Amino acid sequence: MRPNDRKYLKSHEWCKISDGVATVGISDYAVAHLSDLVFLDLPEVGTAVTAGKAFAEIESVKAVSDIYSPVTGEIVEVNDDLPDELDTLKEDAFGAGWMIKVKFTAQAPDLLDAAAYEATLDQE
Amino acid sequence: MTDPAPWPADGLRVLDAGAAPPAWNMAIDEALLLASGPPTLRLYRWDPPGLSLGWFQDGAAFAEVPGRHRVVRRRTGGGAIYHDDELTFALTLDAELLPKDVAASYVLLHTAVQVALAAVGVPTELVRGAGAPSGRSRGSGWCFATAGPHDLVAAASRRKIVGSAQRRVRAPRARVLHHGSIVLHAPTATPFCGAVADSVDPHQVEDRLRNELSAALATALRLRPMPGTLTPAEQSSARDRLSFYEDAGRVAR
Repeated sequence: MRPNDRKYLKSHEWCKISDGVATVGISDYAVAHLSDLVFLDLPEVGTAVTAGKAFAEIESVKAVSDIYSPVTGEIVEVNDDLPDELDTLKEDAFGAGWMIKVKFTAQAPDLLDAAAYEATLDQE
Repeated sequence: MTDPAPWPADGLRVLDAGAAPPAWNMAIDEALLLASGPPTLRLYRWDPPGLSLGWFQDGAAFAEVPGRHRVVRRRTGGGAIYHDDELTFALTLDAELLPKDVAASYVLLHTAVQVALAAVGVPTELVRGAGAPSGRSRGSGWCFATAGPHDLVAAASRRKIVGSAQRRVRAPRARVLHHGSIVLHAPTATPFCGAVADSVDPHQVEDRLRNELSAALATALRLRPMPGTLTPAEQSSARDRLSFYEDAGRVAR
């Protein structure tokens, strides 16, 4: 069972909400299916993000994929070490592999709890 | 005038195109990725030659490469490719038609390309083995300089003969663009490429290779190859995207 202290998008991003700030990352399932990661491009603090729109890009051998935001708001913190330590995503996608923290004003309408997210994985 | 018949659900639209400038080729492929059209295989060439950079590559490292080419950035990942005498294919389709696992999708598509190459007398092998290490290391940065797992190499020389890369998007639809470059003659800039010319005369077999490739990729996807054309909406979308690919600043980032 994946952590149930957060919500998920069907496109494999997660967000954990605390005091109006959403910490955002991608699931272990996404990391496993991207296989060997080579590059991650994260936005800067202050960037506006929109629920359901891409906020970052990740490259594996050899596919570039977009990463979508579960919330609308402004980025207040970025995990700047992550692009240089992509193995962190393999080791701890739900913890140290977080990507951005967003002071949010709205959440995506289609956020899923852990059980519902896992049900979508069974269908893939 | 009647509406055109709907595209059959099991049809792979084949756009058998000629040569076009690098920026236009990339603009069309992106338009096809972001459209919601049928699964599409576009076969094309490059005039003038193109030097395409992977989406995240540093353009400065390739600024001094001699030749009459134009530099362009690809939406897809991977290393730089010098596109001269080559047959390129762009497969754009809904993600659900391909294995979700990127590596598995490479195996499926490269096995089909291998069948097509074998049919015209070019034996190849699919590289097996573990994945590459994570990190930013790219060696020379040329796609064809190294062959990794699931790449196709010429059977005799063991040189990489097909360069491939993908772009996956989830919105507005989950779609995939898979680029493949089949080298006919190794370019002067990248003489380390494997090439069709090492086995057969490429220009004797190119038409057949196009047909074999369409048939093999369609079979792999459980579709039927059917000739088609770009829609006016796709052409308009490509024109809208052209300036991005012609923008020198974006190329050099």
